[in-house]
Amino acid sequence: MLFILLLIAFAAIVAWIVYSAGPIFALKRFGGALLVLVLVTFGVSAMLSFTTGDESTKQALEELGVSRNAQPCVTALGTGASVENVNECVEDRGLDKNVFAQYADWAKQLVIDRDLGLAFYKNGETLSDTMKQRLPRTAWLFLYSQLTALFLAVPLGIWSAYQAGRGGRGLPKWALPAGVGILLLIGFFSGFRLTSLFAIVIAFAAVYSIFAGGRLADNNTNFLAFALLSIPVFVLGETLRYAFAIERDIYQLTGYQPWSEGIGEHLKSIWLPTLVLGLAATPVYLRLLRADMIQNLQQDFVSVAKAKGMSNSHILLRHVLRPSTVTLITVLGLNIAQLVNGAIVVEFIYDLDGMGSYLIAAFARREFFAVQTIVALVAALFILTNTLIDVLYTAVDPRVKADDER
Amino acid sequence: MTNVAQEIAVESQHAAEAQAASAPGAGKKRNVVFSLAVAWLVLVVVLVLLGWIFGESLPFLRDPDGINQDALNAGPSWKYPFGNASFGEDVFSQVVEGGRISLFVGFAVTAIGIGLGGGMGLIAGYYRGWVDSLVRLIINVTLSIPALLLVIFIVTIRNQELTTVIFALSLLAIPALARIVRASTLQVADREFVKAAEVLGVKRSKILLREVLPNVMPTLVSFAFLTTGIIIVVEGTLSFLGLSVEPPTLTWGKVIAEGRIKFADTPHMVAMPGLVIFLTVLSLNFVGDQLLKRFDIREASL
Repeated sequence: MLFILLLIAFAAIVAWIVYSAGPIFALKRFGGALLVLVLVTFGVSAMLSFTTGDESTKQALEELGVSRNAQPCVTALGTGASVENVNECVEDRGLDKNVFAQYADWAKQLVIDRDLGLAFYKNGETLSDTMKQRLPRTAWLFLYSQLTALFLAVPLGIWSAYQAGRGGRGLPKWALPAGVGILLLIGFFSGFRLTSLFAIVIAFAAVYSIFAGGRLADNNTNFLAFALLSIPVFVLGETLRYAFAIERDIYQLTGYQPWSEGIGEHLKSIWLPTLVLGLAATPVYLRLLRADMIQNLQQDFVSVAKAKGMSNSHILLRHVLRPSTVTLITVLGLNIAQLVNGAIVVEFIYDLDGMGSYLIAAFARREFFAVQTIVALVAALFILTNTLIDVLYTAVDPRVKADDER
Repeated sequence: MTNVAQEIAVESQHAAEAQAASAPGAGKKRNVVFSLAVAWLVLVVVLVLLGWIFGESLPFLRDPDGINQDALNAGPSWKYPFGNASFGEDVFSQVVEGGRISLFVGFAVTAIGIGLGGGMGLIAGYYRGWVDSLVRLIINVTLSIPALLLVIFIVTIRNQELTTVIFALSLLAIPALARIVRASTLQVADREFVKAAEVLGVKRSKILLREVLPNVMPTLVSFAFLTTGIIIVVEGTLSFLGLSVEPPTLTWGKVIAEGRIKFADTPHMVAMPGLVIFLTVLSLNFVGDQLLKRFDIREASL
């Protein structure tokens, strides 16, 4: 049902694009996307032909009476596998065939038979079952983290851009280091934990910036975003895990709870991973929105609106925010790749059994057939989203199309 | 699929930042932070190099695998600034030794990325035609697989050796740098002095090397810093997941991965290397960003 709805929505968007930007343009873009998708999946398939190990392994396998290329099967089946099992697996996966035949087999199975194959060869679990179980976790994680990031980035970006051109309250500059120093001293002597001290410093800097306003506030926000951008996701994730799940008992590492267990339980089981992924995505959006807002605030229409006596908040939210969000939406699409990277790490850190941790397990067991399928699905999602956004962008802003012909 | 929209996004961001940066009073403070960042980078590189050349004969370094019964899981102290691991190993020495792989991979991959990716971008952006289409296709194909997924994929299907890790990470750096250099080359190739040289009948290859390349260089150098930071993070993630070079070799990510197992006992094993990675990446990002802004200002005032 959902699939049909999505299909209808997709068809509607395509129809609108064909209507507004012309069929040749739409064909070119979607054709290009299809070509990229085929090349990506074929590249993955071709790289898999390197997996059969070096010459000595091949010879050892031949002496055992199995195919020379059986190495992925041996790893997937484990040490207890019999020769027949391995041979069956080699036959099943077409490991003896050449690259093109392997790719054709894989594509046929996926597209025509609608069969995703096995998730784990050893116990015969199908990938569609695995996805049914694990995909919701990753999907919710993605959704919540994006909402968190936007919830943090959009107001902060608007506020920061607004403050960039203002005078500020002229608070003394030494107040920040002095305040931080006093707070640190108090905290240190009353035996606060290191993570609490850190949180206090950040909170004080935030309050100071909000109160000070002006360029100083903009600079501080910008620097905070810059620092957040430079923290690797795994360092951020481990730090927050230490602060909330090990040092204190605020987040329980009890595993994912679905919606059916109640909203409270669901959110309680996922909020910290969400926060980590969201914080990792926030600075990207924040910096982009701020830069765009600053540029748009210097346009003539802002002066006109100001001269007409409109309020600042009206100008910011109605006149400047809308043209500034176009780039943000583009980057939202591009950020899918970043999200997948983050999900792999975050699910590993928090033992969340989603697609990311499945991927790690599948890699460890050399389940390349399933990995190939997932890589293809992720690439398809990425390419489709970005083509749609790209084309929509073009339909909204014709300058891009002219630019593309350069 | 083209990512023109994204290129525009990047350009508009730079333009806006250049405008914001040219406001008065911003220059002096930035210089202090800039020199701090450079100083930190120099410090890290020098320490790692010293550890590489002189090893344990230096007064502040010990055997990173040396067992110390008196200081199991001990926190940071004056003698052991980064604390001790679960067998009393000196974490500071581990971090210094781990920096060899982490920094080497970062610099090597960036060099490869600049050489191959920069070359691809230059040729594609200046000669256009089928070369451009081909390069654009390569860029789009490579960048449509999420970076970490691609790297893990290559490392698992090959082997966990240094060359494989460098190869896999280069596959990230080359298209990313190629795209940026191509966009920059397109801009430069539109400028008057290039047109003038073409009219005067200078050979195209000569124009590329004498006119276009020097003007693309600033962007390339700034993005080289940013790329090094990204590669260090990706390599750290890889070794954090246990997928980088084989176990006895230390890297920054591996120290963190070891510390997280007994997290309640050894939080400093995560915090200290994490802080080192964070500061290094922050400095690299900051230097790259500032260079980009400075070059942009110069371009704007021409």
